[in-house]
Amino acid sequence: MIQEKIKIKNKLGIHARPATLLAQEAGKFKSEIFIAKDGIEVNAKSIMGIMMIAAEQGAVLNLTINGEDEKEAVKALKNIFDKIFEEE
Amino acid sequence: MITLKGIPASPGIAIGPAYIVSSEGANFEKKKIPPTNVEWEVRRYQEALRLTYDDLTKTQSNAKELFGKNFAKLMAAHKLILQDPLLVQGVIDKIRKEQINAEYALFLVGQEVNTTFEKIKDEFFRERKFDIADVAKRLYDHLTNKQQNTFASIKEPSVVIAHNLFPSDTIHLKRKSVLGFATDIGGKTSHTALLAQNMQMPAVVGLSQATTQIKNGDLIIIDGQEGLLIINPTTELIALYTKRKNLIEKEEKSLKTISDLPNETLDGHKVNLYVNYDPRRDFKELDNFKSQGLGLLRTEFLYMDKPVPPTLEEQVAVYKKAALRFDTRPFTIRLADLGGDKIAQFSLAYHEEEANPFMGCRGIRLFLKYPALMKTQIQAIIKTASLVPAKVKIMAPMVSAAEEVIEVKKVFEQTLKEMQAQNICPQNKIDFGIMVEVPSMALTLDSVINKIDFASIGTNDLIQYLIAVDRGNQEVADLYDPYHPAVLRMINHIIQACHKKKVEVSVCGEMASDPELVPFLVGLGIDSLSISTRMFLRIKNTLRNLNFEDCSNLAQAAILMGSSDEIRKLNEKHS
Repeated sequence: MIQEKIKIKNKLGIHARPATLLAQEAGKFKSEIFIAKDGIEVNAKSIMGIMMIAAEQGAVLNLTINGEDEKEAVKALKNIFDKIFEEE
Repeated sequence: MITLKGIPASPGIAIGPAYIVSSEGANFEKKKIPPTNVEWEVRRYQEALRLTYDDLTKTQSNAKELFGKNFAKLMAAHKLILQDPLLVQGVIDKIRKEQINAEYALFLVGQEVNTTFEKIKDEFFRERKFDIADVAKRLYDHLTNKQQNTFASIKEPSVVIAHNLFPSDTIHLKRKSVLGFATDIGGKTSHTALLAQNMQMPAVVGLSQATTQIKNGDLIIIDGQEGLLIINPTTELIALYTKRKNLIEKEEKSLKTISDLPNETLDGHKVNLYVNYDPRRDFKELDNFKSQGLGLLRTEFLYMDKPVPPTLEEQVAVYKKAALRFDTRPFTIRLADLGGDKIAQFSLAYHEEEANPFMGCRGIRLFLKYPALMKTQIQAIIKTASLVPAKVKIMAPMVSAAEEVIEVKKVFEQTLKEMQAQNICPQNKIDFGIMVEVPSMALTLDSVINKIDFASIGTNDLIQYLIAVDRGNQEVADLYDPYHPAVLRMINHIIQACHKKKVEVSVCGEMASDPELVPFLVGLGIDSLSISTRMFLRIKNTLRNLNFEDCSNLAQAAILMGSSDEIRKLNEKHS
């Protein structure tokens, strides 16, 4: 199991497009991937889940990845976050 | 008491409590699923997911062209919502854990999601609940397979009130518990209305606001003659309508006495009276009166409501059963007129996403694109003709040019040869005919007249194409007018073209079932009328009280007139 803290750096936070990107990327892996914010934990493969935690700029997300491809998954997801943060 | 005025779609009077079919279709009834059926319920849900996914993919690709990238993106987002673990595993878990039906599990999950989303601070994300509701609605529609289950849950005899009913819905209205129906939209000759007439079910359509003004259980009177709907009528009115209802039923009984009398006018002019029929119905009712044959078998209904097209054997079974009721009389089988508002459930690429389906791939156009479908039906018709003594005829719908007629006839003759080689030989020669319902074919009928044995005028489509009016659109439904001089002139032209070569010509459209219009058709010299079962004896009664010479004068005067008002006035004076 891998745990990572990620701070939302971009102005708009996890908005519609980032949420889509994130869910799509998470969906590619076999591992269970959860994102937690303020005590609410959601399935990162669920776009509805990601929307529910609506992370704004400055928020800190706790990423928990558990499964056979967890190493690849954490790398890929960090990449996605970087991409999201670069955009704005 | 409130009275609403709509369009009369099917005559008769119905009195009973309202049963509202919500246009949302959201009738989330909780049902317990026995443990042994839970996995079946899960599979049913998975199938709905798959169908909804296909649905969205189709919409997505079309959306790009029609509405641009953003709308297509929205559909992509909807697909993502559809694949969301919350909707997939979430609902499946609920079905399994609580042993409930998929619809209710979906409803519960939807509610949970909605509650969570209400709390989201970000307005944009909060508003996504509408997208989720939209996806859930699509899913729900696939789960319920439209509204057939909704009707099945009607417990007492009721009057169905709906925003719109599709032909596939109409046929599910169980006669025993549905007294009549009313819809917000629709026109007099939409297929829904025609089906109501065939089912002898009073109906009023095009009421605009019926579903919003009526509550479940309100007492409703439907007057299918006048196109009226009365909500919570006074006791006097109920008494009046009950009396009228009884009177109509009595009249119907007395009509039966003319059943065996000849089909001719007072001055002895004979007109063949045939019957139109929907093969899904119980052919027994055809024994209620004696027609001179079957003028139109609407075989497209065998192709609807089914996941696959009917096989040769299935078709032969239906045709044979029906044809045996007609001993040696004519039995006209129309090749399936699919398309328009009659869409098959199985996937046909040419059907999908037509912007203008009535001018799109329907009738023979569709069959020529799916030669295997056409071939099977032609084989079934030939096979039937080899098994029954009736005079089987084959008729091609929606032909618009000589090439199509030639092509279909070629396939028919070739198939006949192949089957004869296998010793499957018709007991009588199979006549080949066409529907004349597209103005281009009507005007050039002389070009194919030597290739056909008979012609049948489909007045509903002919009028719709001639006047360029969508017969299902209540905004323009009043323009749909059989009294339009262009209609009578066109029919006159068709009859003349046929009579020049002694080809039998009939009318199988709605005009033939309208007592007010029959004098014109008889006067123009029509050979045969093909009538809905419900109107058969009434039209026979009308015919028997006409004078051919008067009708002839009436028709000749009418085709010289310039407006439908003049023709209507002339008709009133005449009758």
